[in-house]
Amino acid sequence: MGTLRRHGPIGAVCGLAAAAVLAAFLLLIAILLAEAWPVLDPGFLVDAPSRFADRAGVGPALAGTLWISFLTAAIAFPTGLGTAVYLEEYAPRTRMTGAIESTIANLAGVPAVVYGVVGLALFARGLGLGASILAGGCTLAALALPTVIVASRSAIRAVPKGLRIAAYGLGATRWQVIRHQILPAAAPGVLTGCCLALTRAMGEAAPLLVIGAAAFITFAPGAPGDPLTSLPTQVFAWTARSQEDFAALAAGACVALLLVLLAINLVALAVRHRLRGVKR
Amino acid sequence: MTVAELSGAGTASRALAERFAGRAFLACAIVATATAIAVVGVLGFETVLFFTEVSPARFFSEVAWTPFSEDPRFGVLPLLAATAQITVGAAVFAVLPGVMTAVYLQHYADARSARVVGTATSLLAGVPTVVYGYVALNFVTPALSNLWPEIEAFNGLSACLVVGLMILPTVVVLSRDALESVPASLMEAGLALGATRDRVVVRVLIPAASRGIVGSVVLAMARAAGETMIVTLAAGNQARLTWNPLEGLRTLTAFIAQSSLGDAPSGTLNYRAFFAVGAVLFVVTYVMYAVGRRLLSRRSRDGAR
Repeated sequence: MGTLRRHGPIGAVCGLAAAAVLAAFLLLIAILLAEAWPVLDPGFLVDAPSRFADRAGVGPALAGTLWISFLTAAIAFPTGLGTAVYLEEYAPRTRMTGAIESTIANLAGVPAVVYGVVGLALFARGLGLGASILAGGCTLAALALPTVIVASRSAIRAVPKGLRIAAYGLGATRWQVIRHQILPAAAPGVLTGCCLALTRAMGEAAPLLVIGAAAFITFAPGAPGDPLTSLPTQVFAWTARSQEDFAALAAGACVALLLVLLAINLVALAVRHRLRGVKR
Repeated sequence: MTVAELSGAGTASRALAERFAGRAFLACAIVATATAIAVVGVLGFETVLFFTEVSPARFFSEVAWTPFSEDPRFGVLPLLAATAQITVGAAVFAVLPGVMTAVYLQHYADARSARVVGTATSLLAGVPTVVYGYVALNFVTPALSNLWPEIEAFNGLSACLVVGLMILPTVVVLSRDALESVPASLMEAGLALGATRDRVVVRVLIPAASRGIVGSVVLAMARAAGETMIVTLAAGNQARLTWNPLEGLRTLTAFIAQSSLGDAPSGTLNYRAFFAVGAVLFVVTYVMYAVGRRLLSRRSRDGAR
């Protein structure tokens, strides 16, 4: 009522909409936690999937997701940042460069499942990687690349012009300017973009399903050549089984996935805080 | 003599580092460009091969999609119609609450509620779609069956609702950006003229941001069109033309995800059908995304007109 008196009816209705969004979020979390509660114990995180719901866990899927995200980051981060630096600091301002830039930006909007189809043809079949962790990592790296590039470019562009001009004026070479001025100043923004791209890629089930992620892997993958499994595809496999016991497992895998994503975000937050602290 | 040479110590190694750095950045850009070309190239190549066996006219006019039957039919219309229905349906559920939340955050909320709702929105945006799919199948559909007992286990309505929830953060965040870029002086001028805050918001600020708000809706719909896991889990896998939201349907994305593609042998017509469907999806979402980005970009808003 306070809102109504202060702002009038439009403000109050808009406030209700915002409250509904908040409620939807809380409801989602509550549903997942309530469903997952029976299966959440330390063993759940290490045990393998099983025909018997009470013995099943997400061990291999968790290991798969960590492997895949490591590969995705290792491929997409340096390539994306390097491309952003090239486009901002080296590339001539031609029509060609502009076309490449806008194509890459629009590729960020292409659905993940399309990357799955391309990854199947290119990595799983073309390079003969099969339905492996490595094929999944490569596919998700291709998916994450446009987002990394777009975010890194805007972080680099936000670096004050004066910094660049002053450094060049003092006789620094291009690489010196990039290394000592631009990259440190752009680091927090680049990190945010990379974190967003990685967590989004890690939550994708569709491209991995298309490549051929297996629902029933009983050992944790230990090398990039091992069969593809991940938390999102495990959630899908258990949800699609539509039996009561497996629904709880699916909720448990959802919670595990959300916790992994949350952990990555928190680490990125801490690193960003340090970066800012060191800089200023 | 270059500046690097004049500066003396370590000249040779510095020049080497300079050249190496330049080459390395160029190499990254080439890899990224090659990836983009490969994505388009692979889709295009397999799609052209598909069209040598199934004519585009049949692909876009037949109304049956039964690739695995004895007399396979490749009419993409049922899939395309289902994608359009889910996209529009999700927008129906997402646009009004999304824009109103953005208006609240930008023009009404105090700092603390703005932070709480803003955090919830960005967390919602980070939830993987397969998690939404789980909720759609196990909670939303059972809840809907209390209202409509005749609802099918797989149905379009549940998918629309949950896809709407999934694209809600996109609408909120981007609409808020659009509202934010309206000069604050407009609000001050309106209030100074004696208009209420409600009136300034509805008559001045929302119209001024309308282009960006439309852009945010288009981008959100592009995401809905490409969404895969929610529709795969909740809307089912029957390719059919239906207007009944209580019945199941199959989108472009669900067909790709569901047909256990990992097993289809390369070079078969079925294998190529995935690429043809992928290409249709690519074109639809690419165009929507490009249009949305254009509507949102500040340059074209402040430019010519």
